[in-house]
Amino acid sequence: MGKARKPIQIVILFLIVLLGGYAIGSSVFGGDGKPKEGSRAPSFELLGLDGQTHTLKQYKGKAVVLNFWGSWCSPCVQEMPALQAQWEKWRDQGVVVVGVNVGEDQMTVENFVKMVGINFPVVMDTGRDAVRSYGISPMPTTFFINSKGKVDSIHIGQLDLSTLDAQIGKLVSR
Amino acid sequence: MSLLDFSSDVFIAAFFLYSGAFMLFTIAIMGRKWSGRDPKAHTARWGKVAFTVSSVGLLCHIAYFVTRWMGSGHIPVSNMYEFMTFLSMMVMVAFTVIFAIYRKIILGVFAVPISIIVMAYAAVFPQEVQPLIPSLQSIYLNIHVTLAATGESFFAVGFAAGLMYLLRTVKFDSVEKVDRKQQRLVEFTLFSIIVIIGFLGSVFAFRGAGYETVFVRQNVTIDSPGQENSTIEKVSYKMPPIVAPYHSEIESFQSFLGMKAPLFEAPAWMNGVNAGRKFNTVIWSLISGLLLYGVIRLIARKPLGKAIHPVMDGIDEGDLDEIAYRAIAIGFPIFTLGALIFAMIWAQVAWGRFWGWDPKEVWALITWLFYSAYLHLRLARGWQGRKSAWLAVLGFLVVMFTLVGVNLVIAGLHSYAGTD
Amino acid sequence: MMGHAPFIANTKCECGHQNPVGTVLCEACGKPIGEEFDSSENLEMRYDGVARRSQRVNPGVIDLIWNFFSSVKIAIYLIVLTLLGSMLGTVFPQESTFLNIDASTYYKEQYGAAGQIYYTLGFSHTYESWWFVSLLVMIGASLVICSLDRVLPLYKALTRQKIRKHRQFLTRQKVVLIANIEEDPEVWVTRLLQPLKKKGYRVKVDGGALLAEKHRFSRWGPYVIHIGLIIFLLAVLARGLPGLNMDQHLAFPQGEITRIPDTTYYLKNEKFKVEFYTEEEMPEEFRGKKVLPKLYQTSAVLYQCTADCIDPSKEPQLSEVAAHDIQVNSPLEYKGLKAYQFDYDLTPVLRSVQPELINSANGESYGKFMLEMKNPERSFQVGPYTLTLKEKYLDFGLNEEGQPVSKSPYPNAPAFLFLIKGPDLPSAGQQYFYFPKQVDKAQFQQASINDKLGGQDRFLELDVANMSDVDFAESTAYLNIRVDRAMPFVWLGAGIVMLGLVLGFYWQHRRIWLIVSNGELTLGGHTNKNWFGFRREIVSILERVDMAVDEKSLDNGGGLA
Repeated sequence: MGKARKPIQIVILFLIVLLGGYAIGSSVFGGDGKPKEGSRAPSFELLGLDGQTHTLKQYKGKAVVLNFWGSWCSPCVQEMPALQAQWEKWRDQGVVVVGVNVGEDQMTVENFVKMVGINFPVVMDTGRDAVRSYGISPMPTTFFINSKGKVDSIHIGQLDLSTLDAQIGKLVSR
Repeated sequence: MSLLDFSSDVFIAAFFLYSGAFMLFTIAIMGRKWSGRDPKAHTARWGKVAFTVSSVGLLCHIAYFVTRWMGSGHIPVSNMYEFMTFLSMMVMVAFTVIFAIYRKIILGVFAVPISIIVMAYAAVFPQEVQPLIPSLQSIYLNIHVTLAATGESFFAVGFAAGLMYLLRTVKFDSVEKVDRKQQRLVEFTLFSIIVIIGFLGSVFAFRGAGYETVFVRQNVTIDSPGQENSTIEKVSYKMPPIVAPYHSEIESFQSFLGMKAPLFEAPAWMNGVNAGRKFNTVIWSLISGLLLYGVIRLIARKPLGKAIHPVMDGIDEGDLDEIAYRAIAIGFPIFTLGALIFAMIWAQVAWGRFWGWDPKEVWALITWLFYSAYLHLRLARGWQGRKSAWLAVLGFLVVMFTLVGVNLVIAGLHSYAGTD
Repeated sequence: MMGHAPFIANTKCECGHQNPVGTVLCEACGKPIGEEFDSSENLEMRYDGVARRSQRVNPGVIDLIWNFFSSVKIAIYLIVLTLLGSMLGTVFPQESTFLNIDASTYYKEQYGAAGQIYYTLGFSHTYESWWFVSLLVMIGASLVICSLDRVLPLYKALTRQKIRKHRQFLTRQKVVLIANIEEDPEVWVTRLLQPLKKKGYRVKVDGGALLAEKHRFSRWGPYVIHIGLIIFLLAVLARGLPGLNMDQHLAFPQGEITRIPDTTYYLKNEKFKVEFYTEEEMPEEFRGKKVLPKLYQTSAVLYQCTADCIDPSKEPQLSEVAAHDIQVNSPLEYKGLKAYQFDYDLTPVLRSVQPELINSANGESYGKFMLEMKNPERSFQVGPYTLTLKEKYLDFGLNEEGQPVSKSPYPNAPAFLFLIKGPDLPSAGQQYFYFPKQVDKAQFQQASINDKLGGQDRFLELDVANMSDVDFAESTAYLNIRVDRAMPFVWLGAGIVMLGLVLGFYWQHRRIWLIVSNGELTLGGHTNKNWFGFRREIVSILERVDMAVDEKSLDNGGGLA
């Protein structure tokens, strides 16, 4: 390989840097593949309480407040009025609140929705697909997704009216 | 007589035959200088007898292995006792192979006792045949464990040859700084071996005397608000407690030489009652090792290294260097296959991941890296002779930590974990 | 090795061969190059004395990096650092050992100040840390560059060997023999051919000079090992690529078809079985003291979805593709998807009951209906009565305000509120609370609740007639579902490493050079390992030509093994 020596050296060193960089990068920053602030919100396709299939795509151009909840989780129950209030306040400004019920059946969800009196769209994640793709562990967890489909912020735990208001305000102003 | 009874009988026979062979090998070497003898003829004749005895011992050992396999229905490498007996058998196999190549009688003086010590260590553990738990029911138990032990046995022979090289070449009469350092290091190595013998001695002495003292400790943990959980841990000491477990109470105490209570308590960072017991065992091993060492020093009236050094007279140091290297070079591929590749294959089949950074896995990797470094240093950097011999000695320390230390100090997924 | 090479321009050997810079031994005749004085030390035969690629005059930046990684010294440092790093990682358990811990507090609580330091320095995830991965990457780089740097020149040197070497080349080998030969040189050399060939040597003769060589392939052993390791490392790296790897732990209740997320597969746990060794199978010492498991087995059937897979509003259509009794050490396998026995839970999980509507006044039964725990029907017609399901609580309890709630999504304590309409009941209907589990009936006082809801004169009861009307999953098997498409390459790499190890360690490249001239035999021998066996072989070969030589006298001492 005599004369081709330098180029070959460069190519090999380049490959090492490339693969090595990938290896170090993926082990240090790669993490677990869960969405973080600033990353693209994973798409989902879930059956809504209205009998329709809902996707993230259909809310394109709107700011989405994606709330993961269960009827048996008491902080989830307690934050429902705040979510409902904010839904009513912001729905005309291109904000949509979507409740994702985690793993419960239709009857439970219907009764619950009736009981707490909410009317924003509720979808049912019976197979826990969205739970997986959003990397949810404790509930409630709320994702604030901007109109471009990027995760703006993530809130774990119960939301109160004022933080919710501030968060949505921030989401809309961007 | 059942197969298993026969099995344990031939095992004991093997133990005594090895001990006999060790003495014969020693006579073959030491007796050279006896008056009125032709040194060469003496060594050759006694060496032949010694090798025959050790080979008969190995046959008995193999008979133990085969009959225990037949009697229990599974390969006897499934717990610490069985593994150690197997390892000692493979040390003898490795010795026989290397002996067949190099015909060095002196090797018997150093390799055979390793096997004897490992056999005695095996006897520390419970000897019953245990049925296999589901995770061990696999053909890979046979392949992985046997190959790994075989590779490690060659490392053991490499260790013996390395130590012999050092005893042969270190200048024990010199007072120069470099030589003094070497003398001290060799002495420390020999002392460590004596501590192990001291450990075995105290285990069997107190076991023979039927000693037992029991400690209890109450652990209160608060797991959920207001929920107090208290568990009682009990630990039975088989050696007189010089040190008691941290925050424990005596349940029953058998006095020893007028000692009616533990002398002190283990420090707080030694979590768990078993840590205290292990610490106590270490202290006893050191005490009996020191006693034994003191007695030998009194008899020899000089450092052990210096005392053994003349035994090595006339042995070609180049041969010792090569034996150490050769044993490791034979063992390395076997170790790689058994302890890493088949370990990965088994882990893939049983747990679905071929590598999980489990402590046992990591230490197998550390052993492998160590011997890789040894080979690179030797082949490409020209580390031969003394440096290489020290690495062979140190390497076996790494092997023993992987086999024993990881189980004692670090617990993991591996099924040998949690033994004594 | 770096800088060791003499940087003198004149590398022309006295035999007339022009050698590249960095050559130690003349490529043609083997005479040592660049030595001021005649030394008698053994020759440096490592790469047959050829110039390695990394040895150049005036190195640039690329060359410097190249030289760094091509150094065996650096490689050894990397190995030792990796070794020490690995040791650090075993001081305390790694974070990845635990499923649910808060690492920031766990290490401090468990191991005190040392644990805190351990965590702060990042050793609790040693093997994923930037420095550890960097070490592995650098080892990879070193493997590639070290091998490239040596294997090509070595290949060239070994394929272009000259038979007649410089006398110094022979006398400075580690195995040397100088003896008197009375015979004609060529005749003597010819006599030697047969014994050499019998030992497997390939022999080349040039008048009174001879070169015998065997097992040259053994020289490639180390490079084969390195190639294998590179493939292994690349395969491990590739495992992390999206789509090549999946790893999830899922619960499979017995008797149910459960979807495997992110795939088109569904798995049915037909039966989970756990067996323990009987007393007779246990050694006497253990009887009554220890329980040892004998078998964990999930009889599983794997289905693939053929249509309506994605649309959540439709039922997917499934077809069976594989079935296997999954045990530890025996996973289910189908097209790269593997299901491993991981854990189990023997708590029965209620699926449905078929309660009977009974008139408690006269014992008349109106019939029974199927009540599912999940997605139950909303209304039931039983005899003349209509039961409407109003509320459902899977894990019944009361919240702080005293309202009934479900405490979890699992059917631990299911409870149902019905509105019953029909003969002899108020026109608005009568409410009835039903707890299918007997324990719950007692604990939550079903009778007194219903007395409050329906009054003292209520006469309807729901009850399960016999156990055949109760359907539950007896147990739940937890399986580890994995896809690992890079595995074949991991094994390929490991296999190549093994091949290289066997080639390199169990065979040795042996060469014998000899020159007979002026009644004197000069023999030099070289092997890359096992000098002892080599010397013995030379002695036995020379015996065949009636030349008695002592093994030990061949040893020229020192040198490299």
